[in-house]
Amino acid sequence: MKTIEDLKSVIETKTKERSADKKPYIVISAGTCGRARGSLKVVQAFKDEIGKRNLQEKIEIKVTGCHGFCEAEPNIIIKPQGIFYQKVSPEDVEEIISETLINNKIIDRLLYIDPDTKKKAMHEDDILFFKKQHRLLSGNNSLIDPISIDDYFAIGGYTALLEVIDKMTPGEVIERVKRSGLRGRGGAGFPTGYKWEFCKKAKGDVKYIICNADEGDPGAYMDRSLLEGNPHAVIEGMMIGAFAIGAKEGWIYVRNEYPLAVKNIGIALKQAKEMGILGENILGSGFSFDIKAATGSGAFVCGEETALIASIEGKRGMPRQRPPFPVRKGLWGKPTNINNVETWANVPLIIKNGADWYSKIGTEGSKGTKIFSLVGKIRNTGLVEVPMGITLREIVYDIGGGIPGNREFKAVQTGGPSGGCIPRQLLSLPVDYDSLTQAGSIMGSGGMIVMDERTCMVDVARYFLNFLQDESCGKCLPCRKGIQKMLEIVTDITEGKATEEDLETLEELAQVVRDTSLCGLGQTAPNPVLATLRYFRDEYIDHIKKKKCEAAVCKEIISSPCQHTCPIDTEAAVYIALIVRERYEEALKIIKKDNPIASVLARVCHHPCEAKCRAGEGGEAIKIRNLKRFVTDWGLKKGLMLKAEPAAKNSRGKVAIIGSGPAGLTCAFYLAQKGYEVAVFEKHPVAGGMLAVGVPEFRLPREILAADVDYIKSAGVEIRTNCAIGKDLSVDDLLAQGYKAIFIATGAHKSMTLGISGEDAEGVLPGMKVLTAINLGEKIAIGKRVGVIGGGNSAVDAARAVLRTGMPYSVTIFYRRTINEMPAYKEEVDASLDEGIKIEYLTAPRRIVTDNGKLSACKFIRMKMGDVDESGRRRPIPVEGSEFTVGLDTLIVAIGEQPDTSFVEKVSELEFSRRGTLVVDSETLASNRKEIFAGGDLVTGPNTVVAAVASGKIAAESIDQFLSGEPVKREFRLTRPSRYIEPVELAEEELSKAEPPSMPHLPVEERKRNFKEVELGLTEEMAVQEARRCLRCDLETEDGKDFLEKLKKDSTVAQEVMDA
Amino acid sequence: MPNIRIDGIDFEAEEGWTVLEVARFLGLEIPTLCYDEGLSAWGGCRLCVVEIGEGENTKLVTSCTYPVEEGLNIRTASQRVVQARKVLIELLIASCPTSKVIQDLAAKLGIERTRFKPDWEDCVYCGLCVRICEEQMMAKAIGFADRGGKLKITTPFDKTSEVCRTCGACMYICPACQLRCEGPEPATVVCGRCYNALQPTCLDHYEDYKCYMGLTGDCGTCVKEGPEKGRQRKR
Repeated sequence: MKTIEDLKSVIETKTKERSADKKPYIVISAGTCGRARGSLKVVQAFKDEIGKRNLQEKIEIKVTGCHGFCEAEPNIIIKPQGIFYQKVSPEDVEEIISETLINNKIIDRLLYIDPDTKKKAMHEDDILFFKKQHRLLSGNNSLIDPISIDDYFAIGGYTALLEVIDKMTPGEVIERVKRSGLRGRGGAGFPTGYKWEFCKKAKGDVKYIICNADEGDPGAYMDRSLLEGNPHAVIEGMMIGAFAIGAKEGWIYVRNEYPLAVKNIGIALKQAKEMGILGENILGSGFSFDIKAATGSGAFVCGEETALIASIEGKRGMPRQRPPFPVRKGLWGKPTNINNVETWANVPLIIKNGADWYSKIGTEGSKGTKIFSLVGKIRNTGLVEVPMGITLREIVYDIGGGIPGNREFKAVQTGGPSGGCIPRQLLSLPVDYDSLTQAGSIMGSGGMIVMDERTCMVDVARYFLNFLQDESCGKCLPCRKGIQKMLEIVTDITEGKATEEDLETLEELAQVVRDTSLCGLGQTAPNPVLATLRYFRDEYIDHIKKKKCEAAVCKEIISSPCQHTCPIDTEAAVYIALIVRERYEEALKIIKKDNPIASVLARVCHHPCEAKCRAGEGGEAIKIRNLKRFVTDWGLKKGLMLKAEPAAKNSRGKVAIIGSGPAGLTCAFYLAQKGYEVAVFEKHPVAGGMLAVGVPEFRLPREILAADVDYIKSAGVEIRTNCAIGKDLSVDDLLAQGYKAIFIATGAHKSMTLGISGEDAEGVLPGMKVLTAINLGEKIAIGKRVGVIGGGNSAVDAARAVLRTGMPYSVTIFYRRTINEMPAYKEEVDASLDEGIKIEYLTAPRRIVTDNGKLSACKFIRMKMGDVDESGRRRPIPVEGSEFTVGLDTLIVAIGEQPDTSFVEKVSELEFSRRGTLVVDSETLASNRKEIFAGGDLVTGPNTVVAAVASGKIAAESIDQFLSGEPVKREFRLTRPSRYIEPVELAEEELSKAEPPSMPHLPVEERKRNFKEVELGLTEEMAVQEARRCLRCDLETEDGKDFLEKLKKDSTVAQEVMDA
Repeated sequence: MPNIRIDGIDFEAEEGWTVLEVARFLGLEIPTLCYDEGLSAWGGCRLCVVEIGEGENTKLVTSCTYPVEEGLNIRTASQRVVQARKVLIELLIASCPTSKVIQDLAAKLGIERTRFKPDWEDCVYCGLCVRICEEQMMAKAIGFADRGGKLKITTPFDKTSEVCRTCGACMYICPACQLRCEGPEPATVVCGRCYNALQPTCLDHYEDYKCYMGLTGDCGTCVKEGPEKGRQRKR
């Protein structure tokens, strides 16, 4: 082409041709990510199939760049209908051609299905991931073949360039860009128009422009997608910039790790040159400009502009002092304007549609759209282009689809290694340059890494510091050494070796590194540390003081996640390894050493260990609780360890324990083992607390509870039932009687009320009252149509218990949220459904209808899940006008329990919280009175059994310290097993087939009307097979690895027995 | 002739001078490590940082590389600057505890300990050797190679150099090679006594003040190499 008119007519022709062409064609997303998933194989399959059927004239294939929805790759769009098929494999191609293209039928299984609404989406716009985006730049990727300049013409490409060289002056171009409010998309966000102006005004005739395509942030790939998918847009932007600034030469510096981008840019440049769009006297306008491409060699620091310039000059990629800035002295000492790929790509849009159009998008300080790479713990991984000002919540939940596995959102890391994290409480933050900076992060290049409860924020800081240490060019001391020393300190923290003084040193060092580093790499290196310290300081303190990594990530602290997460430090990995070797008696010893009510917990524990089990990441968690039950049942059958070894009595005093629940029993046991005289006072006729009156027999048989209580008694513990403290005896009476210390663990047994009218009617029963009566064999009036309000274990237990009395015809549970939020154990919910209990979700009670003071019905209202709130959860909101009435003669209210502290309210100095719990020191469980300690649900509110057992253990330690005259202080230790057992090697076949066993149940007909235990326990074969699946995380620490080394040298080495 | 203010002194500087040159001219003390009058400014050790700017937008810049400009307001020893220098010195001590030059800088700033683990490296990457080889000896035999933890100063591709004339300029100017210090307190690796001119500790071992290099402290070299060779030094 020789003239401007030539190009104009070519663009017109191509655009007209395209809109006139009604032929069907298949668009296949084939950026680097798509190719990694097999897009090219799909392309080949289409080519082959079309060739086979001789349909080359009828159906076209368009291989494009990345569409952005990585989760759905390889994806195709069938035009002109716009049908979106996801996760297409070469095997699907034949069907797609015959069914969709020829017969016009949709293939359902290839459609995208919304995981929440379960609705199928036909078109891109039906998919929530795309709907909320504003794909000004990335949308074009699905319209063009990146290596066809004709395609670019057909969507109006190079029209902006024409307008510029034909009708505008450089000054006018700069004005338009300035007014648009465009800010640099590389990370710093400097106003682009102003930068161009500085460069234009700089002294000198020779000027350069550079496109920084050295996208180095881990997890960021927006620029890659633009370069691969639409290289001409970048070229056009650069040309407009060169015209405005007065540059004759431009460079695109692409990182070498993007081979497809390098290739496509090369092709696009060649095409532009051949068409006369680049070169001397372009289209006769007098404007000359050419672009060369340079590749990086794998250095992150070369994304920094002065290091990039040095690299193009053939020198070592090391940054230099600024001032002078590149706009005055840059490449070869000449004025140089550097912009990021996305910035350049925005320019043609601004010229074509105008500054006013552009500045309407976004916020006051940040105009336009931004492409983010949404990665990490998110359902919809991919590239999202959104207007500035959209909230983080919308990006994470609406576009991103939320966190997989229904886990809790923790934070979003923005800006890569130079950025910080935004925590849950800031989910409403509008995403723009200034708000992100104020929150302690930066926009950066647009990487967005989503983190959930299984991410350790200290480990995140360590990860980024490690990356930066490798990438530091080494020129300046604070970056080279400062980052290394920060990494050393943070690593020490992740290994439980640091002190609180180290934290102060870390903060001081971080400040100096930020203040004195030469370039942006060093200056922003402390950001991940400072941001995580700002919002997650308690995680750092936990690692340092309590040797605790809540997310169960830091291996040297946690050893195996199951043991670390267990509140009572049970060595699951050890007893599971012993089960593999069929050494059940040793396994029983391991279990019982940390757990005095092992048989009980083997049935009712909420198994937090399984939630953190590494086998569960990308597989199925080990059924740890069921394995424990196999061992404890085996022990009971064999009559092993039915009695404890009584200890020699000491003379330090006697201890009174109020409450024989898991907390009280445990405290009593461990005190007795230390030689103390212990008496437990229990108001009910049986010992066990909630275990006896709250948990029904079909989950926890009486004999099992009795066996564990006997075990505890055999240690020398006296239990006095039918003795209520506060009524029969007071706390002060106990002290007067000579008890030197008291542990109060009376739990939380008072049912909460709904607070709606009619709740005092006959037939409305508190959940705990019903459970206690049934468990103790007392009479209670249950009607024929029973409703249960609540979603926790007590609601499900109450429902299943009343069903078994034989009195009701129907039992229905009403829960105000969905099944995903229901706190009751999944196994119990499933079992109750099998037994014929109905569950109504998203339903809340409004009013109780009575007839002569007796319950006759209840008015309910339907709920719907509202938007995500500050806690990161959706709250249910009523659907107005959806009320309905259900006839009931019994309504059981089981929405939660509270402690009843009336019996100790008058005891001096004791402090109570607003929630009604007893306040104690969180570490030692000591109350304001030195001889009174408390634990369990009385202190925490309703909580788990194992948490109560843990508090009993801690209280026993504290009371022992107190009575020995030592300072009462909690000691924290790294988690380690007491011994290492040799691992087993699994053959490939066993590994691939390995599946957790399903717990055998008593058939529904045999269990619906009685209280026989429902779960029957694993067989020996099932147990050993499951135990073999354990990944033996305990062998991942340095200690564990040492053991394996020793084992290699001498296979007969006895298992390591560590110090207790 | 740009008018600047430095530590409250109003001064008309020469065009093209750096802030460090102005400070030295006026007798204001600014510590340096990688700076040498006869070589180009490097700006790598960051010890010479000064604070410039007004109000909320102040920043630290290296005075050895920052050119004077009209209206510049410089503070050479503000709190922020001194805090930065202290931590940087701690990093240097941890990096190379055996360098007397660095020990002296630490003593001058009153540093009594470093909180970082010593690395016992032989090089502080100040680049003086690279620059003297290129700019004064015109050989350009050595340079920086690699990055991150693998950074080193060496000949291209670690091959024996054909342009190196073994002039020794690199060793002469190296702050780590210049004067070796054993550091009497291995745990904290800070000595601080060499600089203390009031205590010529070689007198512990000799009757006279023996040091011909004009040193007044416990550098240990003479004790090790001298007549008392083999005798254990006091630690």
